[in-house]
Amino acid sequence: MKIVSACVGVVVALLFLVLVVSEPDQDIVAKSPLLGQPAPSVASTTIDGEPFALERRKGSWVVLNFFNSTCVPCINEHDLLVEFAASELANANAAELYTIINDDSSDAVREFFTKNGGTWPKITDDNGTIAVAFGVARVPETWIIDPNGIVRLRITGELSAGLLTEQVNRLREEFVS
Amino acid sequence: MLASAGISGTIGRAFLLVGFIGAIFGAFAAVAGARRNDQQIIRLIPRFATLIFAAAVGAFAAMEYAMITRDFSLAYVQKVGSWSTPALYNFAAVWSALEGSILMWVLILAGYTMAVAIWVRKRMQDVIATWALGVMFIVCAFFFLVSFFPADPFALGPPGVLDGPGPNPLLQNHILVMFHPPILYLGYVGVTVPFAFAIAALITGRVGEGWLVATRRWSLFAWGFLTFGIALGSWWSYEVLGWSGVWAWDPVENASLLPWITGTAYIHSVLVQERRGMLRVWNISLLVATFSLTILGTFLTRSGVLNSVHAFSESGIGAWFLAMFAVVLVVSVGLIGWRGDKLRSPGVIDSPLSREAAFLANNVLFAIFAFVVLLGTVFPLIIEALQDRQIAVGAPFFDKLSMPIGLALLTLMAIAPVLPWRKASTETLRDRLFWPAWCGVAALVASLLLGSYGVAPLLTFTLGGVASGAALRQVVLATRRQGLRGLVGRANGGMIVHLGVILIAVSLGASNSFSKSQELSLVANVEAQFSGHTFELRDVVEVRDDRSISVKALVLVDGKKIYAPAITKYTRIGMNVGTPSVRTSLTTDIYLTLEPPVRQDSNEARIKVFIKPMIMWLWIGTALMAIGTVLAAFPGRRRKPTEPTSAPVEVAKS
Amino acid sequence: MKTRRSIWLAMFLLVGVLLVFGASRSGGPLTQQDRIDAITLNLACPTCSGESIYVSRAPASESIRSEVARQVASGLRTDDEIVSYIEQRFGGQVLLVPRASGVDSLVWALPVAALIFSAFLLFTAFSKWRTNKPTSPTLEDEQIVAQALKSQAESESKRESQ
Repeated sequence: MKIVSACVGVVVALLFLVLVVSEPDQDIVAKSPLLGQPAPSVASTTIDGEPFALERRKGSWVVLNFFNSTCVPCINEHDLLVEFAASELANANAAELYTIINDDSSDAVREFFTKNGGTWPKITDDNGTIAVAFGVARVPETWIIDPNGIVRLRITGELSAGLLTEQVNRLREEFVS
Repeated sequence: MLASAGISGTIGRAFLLVGFIGAIFGAFAAVAGARRNDQQIIRLIPRFATLIFAAAVGAFAAMEYAMITRDFSLAYVQKVGSWSTPALYNFAAVWSALEGSILMWVLILAGYTMAVAIWVRKRMQDVIATWALGVMFIVCAFFFLVSFFPADPFALGPPGVLDGPGPNPLLQNHILVMFHPPILYLGYVGVTVPFAFAIAALITGRVGEGWLVATRRWSLFAWGFLTFGIALGSWWSYEVLGWSGVWAWDPVENASLLPWITGTAYIHSVLVQERRGMLRVWNISLLVATFSLTILGTFLTRSGVLNSVHAFSESGIGAWFLAMFAVVLVVSVGLIGWRGDKLRSPGVIDSPLSREAAFLANNVLFAIFAFVVLLGTVFPLIIEALQDRQIAVGAPFFDKLSMPIGLALLTLMAIAPVLPWRKASTETLRDRLFWPAWCGVAALVASLLLGSYGVAPLLTFTLGGVASGAALRQVVLATRRQGLRGLVGRANGGMIVHLGVILIAVSLGASNSFSKSQELSLVANVEAQFSGHTFELRDVVEVRDDRSISVKALVLVDGKKIYAPAITKYTRIGMNVGTPSVRTSLTTDIYLTLEPPVRQDSNEARIKVFIKPMIMWLWIGTALMAIGTVLAAFPGRRRKPTEPTSAPVEVAKS
Repeated sequence: MKTRRSIWLAMFLLVGVLLVFGASRSGGPLTQQDRIDAITLNLACPTCSGESIYVSRAPASESIRSEVARQVASGLRTDDEIVSYIEQRFGGQVLLVPRASGVDSLVWALPVAALIFSAFLLFTAFSKWRTNKPTSPTLEDEQIVAQALKSQAESESKRESQ
């Protein structure tokens, strides 16, 4: 009887320890098996019908933002993206910003951007092939890809002020050196 | 509706405060009255119980009033209320998210406290009753406090909001949402009552059989509702969620299953304590485990550590429930350790082939089952704590491990009803199991003739047959002796519950192993075939109302009736919900879902067809379990004190 | 009771034969849908907790299901390769059944250990009980029983005389 109570006691104590230590996941710069690997091939069209292929963007920095017009953090971070796009215009080595539509209709996205600004290309993703290729399950997510087509950074969740510019600048410096 | 900003909120919070204070005073009165055996103080206790019940009703009514009048000054109404939600679903919206569900817990718990106070009012000289009410008051105080601070349903939200999104669309398209949560809570919260009496027994040192027998119906009541609530949840999963299954081993489902497992072990094991005064430590531990698991389950599902589609991730409330879990365990284990000498029973189990031994094995099996479910549910947390990486533990793990446990339990169900108390000879067993064994063979042959294959399902059917034979044998013998009275009472009602469980086990075995599915691309008026059935698309129509746009595919099944699986877009929330359509029969369910993308007035639709055998038996089994539980609550044949406790064992004739 | 014993033996034999027969049977060839179902039942939905992609109705699950369906239809990859493909993109969290290696194997090992441990405990408990003789009633116990029998006989005779 004593052995059993001791075992049960130890198990319960361990369980308690584990539960106290665990906390809801809050990382913003996230891991991915794709970091440091060539980006998956992306071939799709923009909502205006223009073709888009990620391979042909080699030579520039590419920022992909996975977006859904009803997702609240996406809506919240939209102004930051508009700011980012504007500040990149001044840069010689400008990063190209693209929105990948996640589980949403082109019309809804077009309407959102008309109302809230943002002139960069929005890429459709029927069947979610691009999302699956990148391992994107929740939006928003922002991915940074270098001019050689290698995935450099993955940011999950809502962007904070200045985070995107800061990370892109840091990566640009590292790339040159 | 000009509800003055926050009046419902203020009234609601006032009621909660009154309830909390009442619970604290009630607890003091109970503890002081019990220790000093002061009848003056003890007489106050029922008043406090009525007070906290009235306060809980008031708070809940204030919440419903705010929801019905769409008082958007409250943050909670902003979260789950909406002008476009129909009245019935709006009423149920109160318990569709965290704060409201805690409020419902408070209401049901206060209701139980008052019910217990009324039940013991003639026996208030008995200090166990006073201590038990004390424990219940303390638990009430905890929940009133949680409802006042971290999970405040009456908190004000940002001003100027005129409408809300309404509850999750999955909670507004089936009437079951009115029944499943309250019924489940009646069970979940109800285990507090036997737990309170167990603690009272430990405190007073009166750990004998009296309190057990007295609280038997409370335990059965709570267990019955918990069982029925879980079954309703499975039915809802089947009818609404669209993946054609009944149980996904989701953390919220596991949180409701864990106390059921230990609770079922308890209601069996308690019989041994009544008969022979043994297994006392087991019984108290099982009761403590059942109650603590309700608290732990709430922690796991509400704290956000396991982010599930069900779970409402709120930080802060997790810490409260974790602390309560720790307190409950420390106090209970401390009390058990203190009373250890009194709990030790003088009797021993005479033989491994006896009913006591069967119940002991039953306890062990259920304990392992609970351990497996708990381990699987928290294992991702363990790995994250140890190695900081995410893993998932899902259905394949639980299915694989619960299979052997389930088969072992079926075996016990087959043997235990025919085992006498104290000692059995193999001859007795062979005699009594003769016809049940042939039932098992018949079940095996029948299932093979119907095309079954695979060791696991075949073993399930065979053992199910033997167990049904054993259960039916008991019921037949009892009705032969006593007529209709042979159907009531603990043993006989219990056998009917067993029959229900066997039907459920057999049904799960069949549908898990022999379901088939196929995606069909249908073109209008062209017949497609699958698995011996024909499907023809007749039309694709659209139905609009002020909260949703629904696209339905009208499919003619087997040339007889039209079934309409649908995809509904809830415009306010922007969420798509698939609604299945099911053709039920005693042998097979044909389950249809509509796959996106689909357009109205199109002449094409892609559907997925599931052929699920024997699903109806799940619901018949549930009904049998409910009927059996009610029958078991009636008093059985009253036994004279000098009668032998079990039927005489026949001497082997050879 | 030799006939009874032989009937039982025959029954066990019959059941054994039928089980072996049933176990060796199969339900027909695996369709593509069966393959898709088998794969998706073992992949976890990345936005849920513990739900498989087969079960979950989340949009992420729908996309992964379509991807799996596409790859099964193309016939280029085996089931394991498709699972690895998804794992390479979403990380280890997408495997629904922990692999039986490293720390993860604990989730399988611990239940088995618990089973063996409890069987051992039951066994020792039974052997201890068998060697301990049951206690014989004390004088006090016998007096309590005599008293109870007496009061029961009294109440019965009272009822009969009424």
